[in-house]
Amino acid sequence: MNKSILKSAFGILLLVGLLLIPRYVESPYALHMMILLFLSVAQGQSWNILGGYAGQHSVGHAAYFGVGAYTTMMLMHSKNIVPWVGVWAGVAAVIVVALIIGSICFRLRGPYFVLASIAVAEIMRLSAINLTTLTNGAEGILATELPAFKIGATVVTDFVTKVPFYYIGLFLVLLTIGVTYWVQHSKLGYFFQAIREDQDAAHSLGINIALYKNIALVISAVLTSLAGSFYGIYVGFVDPPTVLGLDVSVQIMLICIIGGMGTLWGPVLGSLILVPLSEALRSNMVTDLLVKIGLVNAESKIGIFLKENLSHAHVLLYGILVVLVILFMPDGLMGFVKKLALRRKREAV
Amino acid sequence: MAILEIKNVSKFFGGLAANSDVSFDVHEGTIMGLIGPNGAGKTTLFNCITGYYPPSKGEVIFNGRKLNGLDPDKVCMLGMVRTWQKVRPLAKLSVVDNVMVGALARTGSLKVAREMAMEQIKVVRMEHRTNFLAGGLPIGERKKLEVARALATQPKILLLDEVMGGLNPAESEEIIQLILDIKQRGLTQMVIEHDMKAIMRISDRIVVLTSGEKLTEGSPQEVVSNPDVISAYLGEPHA
Repeated sequence: MNKSILKSAFGILLLVGLLLIPRYVESPYALHMMILLFLSVAQGQSWNILGGYAGQHSVGHAAYFGVGAYTTMMLMHSKNIVPWVGVWAGVAAVIVVALIIGSICFRLRGPYFVLASIAVAEIMRLSAINLTTLTNGAEGILATELPAFKIGATVVTDFVTKVPFYYIGLFLVLLTIGVTYWVQHSKLGYFFQAIREDQDAAHSLGINIALYKNIALVISAVLTSLAGSFYGIYVGFVDPPTVLGLDVSVQIMLICIIGGMGTLWGPVLGSLILVPLSEALRSNMVTDLLVKIGLVNAESKIGIFLKENLSHAHVLLYGILVVLVILFMPDGLMGFVKKLALRRKREAV
Repeated sequence: MAILEIKNVSKFFGGLAANSDVSFDVHEGTIMGLIGPNGAGKTTLFNCITGYYPPSKGEVIFNGRKLNGLDPDKVCMLGMVRTWQKVRPLAKLSVVDNVMVGALARTGSLKVAREMAMEQIKVVRMEHRTNFLAGGLPIGERKKLEVARALATQPKILLLDEVMGGLNPAESEEIIQLILDIKQRGLTQMVIEHDMKAIMRISDRIVVLTSGEKLTEGSPQEVVSNPDVISAYLGEPHA
């Protein structure tokens, strides 16, 4: 059997499955989890283009996520502009922000670029807190009701259930994977990776470093902004820490570090691990499970301690996971899988 | 005809003159050897020519065009490309992908770039390594990869910075043949080398640098019989 046919058949099957899920799954919780997963994949893929392929490890992607989310929400809140128009205003705003950031920060290399990217995101967060007339400051912007999405007079969807969000999320995933695939299979991908591997060598081979770094940043920032806008309208609330905080940037980056930077499926794998893990830890699922299988008595001191503290410990466990991945799988899960496949191939010969 | 003219080039780092007042011409289709003791300013001169440093004084004229201050990528697009003394493979890319990066300077199509890359891989005789990761190659093959990648940018002049450094005699011989092959194809080359035997064989003319200054210039025979060159390399004879 031809391997590539098998692969595309599997892909189509998976896609059809994902498209059909909302028809058969009614639990809003399950759909919510899927939407979080989609959001995470989209965020990871967006970062991957700049961080994974072009090797510019931005720890300030919250800036683009937040600007996208805020622009859409602000326009909806104060000017009654529908979000599917506001999204594009967000994209335009993010392109401007990205080009300003790029022209300043890309003069720096390595750790200095990382620091500059954090600083820029913090500037955005502090601006959002202090420009109260625009952003409503620390209170954030609440938009409980979304207008129905109409084409002409027909209502396409009214956003009452989670189903429309599910499909928007799935679309974002396909879009970001598609863009990444396109980058990987074009001149851009080669130039980005050359810059990542050795900037001076790339420069000597005719690659305009500043130009291609900025192209990578703009692609990455636009996709991140779309994810941000989607987050805003899905949750219906944005405030500075949830969309512009440092932990948003770190979360976006972790998806790629754990899944595998500079690979097409790394962010998908990373999301498949991180999203369920953080949800399980946050929701006391682990403690409940331990109680259920009888390992821990819910009434005992340990049981009470776990119940009270484990849900706050997800950040700690994240940290441990990152350390383990960096120690044992420096190329992320995807790199680890590739290495195993290579070893199997070699042993088979 | 001079394809490359170096006119009174100086490069200062603070008070240190890494190059001072260096002038010479490189003629089309020839190989210019650049020699000198360690610290003579050979690599600095390469960096000044290819746009990594702007020269503090003087002019670099390539094909009648002044290059001073032009970025390395623009210099490459004009047809001048260099290799690195300390090799710089794109470690996580395969050999063919490395060379394709060079070829993509001239074409937007991956398919064409791949064909161009395979052509250069053949020139350096590394077909059996096409799909190996560049980071895993031994030093001799990394050096050849540098040359193939540079050739893929379709240069008019190739600047080789110690391509034979760290190689065993058999590998060096292979590189010498490669350089002569490239000359056969009409490409101008400028070569920094420490191996005197090698540089004597390949060069049409040689420039000797010492302490950042041009000591002398001439045919290989003229240069090695020049007493100043001998003393620069071996020190003053004790009377």
